[in-house]
Amino acid sequence: MNRVFVTAIVKDVPAGEYARYLPPMKARRMGKLQKRALVTALKAMEISGVGEPDAILNGTAMGCMENTVQMLGGLVSEGEEVNMPTCFMQSTHNTVASMIAIFTGNHGYNTTYSHRTISFELALQDALLRLRLGQIRTALVCANDELTELQLHNPTFFGQLEVQDRSEAWMLSVESGEHPLYEIENVRVIHQKGAEDRAEIIKKSL
Amino acid sequence: MMRPRVVITGMGVVSALGVGVEANAAALVRGESGIGQVRYLPTEHHEFPVGEVKMSDEELCHSLQLADGPCVSRTNLLGIMALREALVHANLQGHPDLALISGTTVGGMDVTERLFPEPLPAGMHDVHDCGASTDIIADNSGCFNYTSTVSTACSSAMNALILGKLLIESGEREIVLAGGAEALSKFHLNGFKSLMILDRQRCRPFDQTRAGLNLGEGAAFLVLESETSALQRGAEILGVLSGGGNACDAYHQTASSEDGEGARRAMTQALADARSSPADISYVNAHGTGTPNNDASESAALRRVFGDKLPPVSSTKSCTGHTTSASGSIETAFCLMAMRRGFLPYQTEYQNLDEKCIVPVSGKEPPQANLRHVMCNAFGFGGNDSSVILSRYE
Repeated sequence: MNRVFVTAIVKDVPAGEYARYLPPMKARRMGKLQKRALVTALKAMEISGVGEPDAILNGTAMGCMENTVQMLGGLVSEGEEVNMPTCFMQSTHNTVASMIAIFTGNHGYNTTYSHRTISFELALQDALLRLRLGQIRTALVCANDELTELQLHNPTFFGQLEVQDRSEAWMLSVESGEHPLYEIENVRVIHQKGAEDRAEIIKKSL
Repeated sequence: MMRPRVVITGMGVVSALGVGVEANAAALVRGESGIGQVRYLPTEHHEFPVGEVKMSDEELCHSLQLADGPCVSRTNLLGIMALREALVHANLQGHPDLALISGTTVGGMDVTERLFPEPLPAGMHDVHDCGASTDIIADNSGCFNYTSTVSTACSSAMNALILGKLLIESGEREIVLAGGAEALSKFHLNGFKSLMILDRQRCRPFDQTRAGLNLGEGAAFLVLESETSALQRGAEILGVLSGGGNACDAYHQTASSEDGEGARRAMTQALADARSSPADISYVNAHGTGTPNNDASESAALRRVFGDKLPPVSSTKSCTGHTTSASGSIETAFCLMAMRRGFLPYQTEYQNLDEKCIVPVSGKEPPQANLRHVMCNAFGFGGNDSSVILSRYE
């Protein structure tokens, strides 16, 4: 069974660096989360030297809320005359993972977990098992969520779930490379009725 | 290391064709369609036929002996109904160590859109997000100590099956209930309307006159289990989940590539995973939505995978509508029914040949067939293409 290493971790690339990874022309049509998510993923690919990961996985607690809220608003203001194709197609939870694949021309395994606060850990578990079994050799695992004005104004608008406004990207590989950050040993996931779902990433610093 | 065989020991299904495996199988054999004028979704768009489950929320609650209310999501009611049937079918009620993987995108959006722009009332349990949906469905039975939610749009439930297979093959879990649940919502009806891919008539996958899809709703969960566990329990083994594959078309957020590269890769991977060759497949349940783009792209991919030896293909979306996130598990359940009962599911709507498309199985009644290996496809937004293979347990 393969050992699994984390070879890069990138968090919330600042807007000043975007132009390095993303031509402004292409960025214009993207929302705030999409830009940050894509640039964070591209930087993790650059640092790790893995430009074509075998898999792209994303974890998102709430999905693409900016577009979702806009579409909901459209349904209120225009009723069912509403016509928001772009907004709708970018409101689905897997928009980010797809966009990274489309931008980089990646045909590999592509999936998205949307399971409360442990979405990223579930994505990581999926990647870990595939890497261990040798189905894939590298995987980009991301965490992406955004907070809309509506949620900033009223954090419990859509419920009690605490959402972190963040973009994070980890590169996983069965090869340690020169400077591995961690070795991942396991991801434990626990569901118990009446309690928040929990997940623990068991990793060893290298 | 020998990988454990992943067998199927139960299923539960709710769709426009009916509630439960028996009702759905009987309707498929009779060649019925559950698509008709909208009755339960409070929408103004009566011009678009839909495949609704023929029960109101109130009737669903009553039948499940649950309290009704404005914050009860139809997605969860459909999910609970299918999950209960699957647990009973596999004789797992009260089992303390089960995993649930559900695929959904709409989740509790039906509740959110009912309230919006008012927020969820204070003190309510979460209902909007996809994960909340899975946990509500899981906790109705109290059997689950692992829950996960896949949200890859219309391939969600199939990717849940593929993950369930991985969890068992890697030895993480012995028994996984995997599938998906999705109710109709005004949100996605108006979304698909905005994309101009809804047909005003009953959908006609692969037909030259096809003009789009009909939305449907429903839920299905399959009980996936290691062969060892199933044999130890003395469970009836219904079939084998022998292969799974997923690939990204990497072409466009909502359109499929002309040559169906993502779909071709997904099917090829599923075959390799099942250690099967194209000639082994005796039926393909296509994604076949009825949109001009999907059906042409999927046909191109099918021709690339199977060459001139294409097995019988059909899309059962002409019977259920496109049940979006739940379609992957509903249609995999249909494949299992077809394999066990020995018939080819056929399309209720097909007349005109399109050179760009394969010719689906259609006619007056489903042909009898001896199916050993069948393939089922589900494709989602973002070019998220998945395929699974079921095999007879021998």
